[in-house]
Amino acid sequence: MMDELEFLKKDWKKQGADFPKLTYDEIYKLIHKKSSSIVKWIFIICIAEFLFWGLITLCIPDSTFVIYEKFNLKTFLFVTQALHYVVVFAFIYLFYKNYKTISVIDNTGLLMKNILKTRKTVNYYVYYNLILYVLLSIVLNGVMFSHPNILIENLMPANSGLDTDKFLTVMIVVQIILLLVMCGIIWAYYRIIYGILLKKLNRNYKELESLEV
Amino acid sequence: MNKEIEHKFIVEFEQNQNIIHKVCRIYTSNQDAHNDLFQEIAIQLWKAYPKFRGESKLSTWMYRIGLNTAITLYRKSKRSIVTQDFDSVLYKIESTSYDDTEEEQLKLMYAAIHQLTDIDKALIFLYLEDVNYKEIAETMGISEVNARVRMNRIKTRLKTILNP
Repeated sequence: MMDELEFLKKDWKKQGADFPKLTYDEIYKLIHKKSSSIVKWIFIICIAEFLFWGLITLCIPDSTFVIYEKFNLKTFLFVTQALHYVVVFAFIYLFYKNYKTISVIDNTGLLMKNILKTRKTVNYYVYYNLILYVLLSIVLNGVMFSHPNILIENLMPANSGLDTDKFLTVMIVVQIILLLVMCGIIWAYYRIIYGILLKKLNRNYKELESLEV
Repeated sequence: MNKEIEHKFIVEFEQNQNIIHKVCRIYTSNQDAHNDLFQEIAIQLWKAYPKFRGESKLSTWMYRIGLNTAITLYRKSKRSIVTQDFDSVLYKIESTSYDDTEEEQLKLMYAAIHQLTDIDKALIFLYLEDVNYKEIAETMGISEVNARVRMNRIKTRLKTILNP
């Protein structure tokens, strides 16, 4: 076997004639093409995620908040929103900082570590959004359902024929289903993104890490 | 970017392009994949070039970027193609097992290398390029001892693949 490897090594050094030789112009064209590196894809996906979660907050119509005023939740929501923006900017800063440390000239282990770290920052951002969403749902619904009379007064359509108990049950069930569907969609999305884009990188990183144990 | 730097880069790339072809040869088993990887490495080299100060040899610098690009590049699974290539080579060898030509032996070696993991491919590449263990360790970000141990394991693994 060692002979075979030595044999390959000899041939390895001789090879070259069978490779196509690119000319100056061909190289010029080549280096101006678009990169398809994983770092670039991660950057694009992460920016899209920041935008997505940012837009979701902006897209909630003001009328939604009218109901909360009736429960004296306006100040609470205002403070929460202000804090939320601070956290979002902290995440964007961390993401940018990590992204900037990625350098193709680092050793392989460090490079993979930095790529995965950048990606992880954005994962935490998404977890944060999910947790915030779940917590807010629980708090807001908790407050609203503890004052069922205000809720019924404002939200139950007149002449619906439903009795108040039934209406409250329907409201709770709808809220829970919405919460579960939302979490399910996001979980599936992450399985797919990780499954497709980062599986190989994760595997390679773990392998290299295991060499050092 | 500066035209002068660009010119210098292209000239140096033109002279050293074989290094990139060799990386592609280890990491890919068909022409399309070879070309894709070659293009991506060229782009990454060019992006990194303005920061290249010549502290290390150009070849060392190219190894590092070439291997890093190959290891981190997202590719669709080419496993089925690899297996198919490997099988067809095996079949060919079986049918002419009494007059093994050198070329067939080499093909079999490459097919075996294509079965290795991305990390092991990098180590084999550096070994074939006669890079010393200190530099291999630095390139991969592992210790020199572990680089040696791993290389011995790869040799054993290649042996198992070639003589099942």
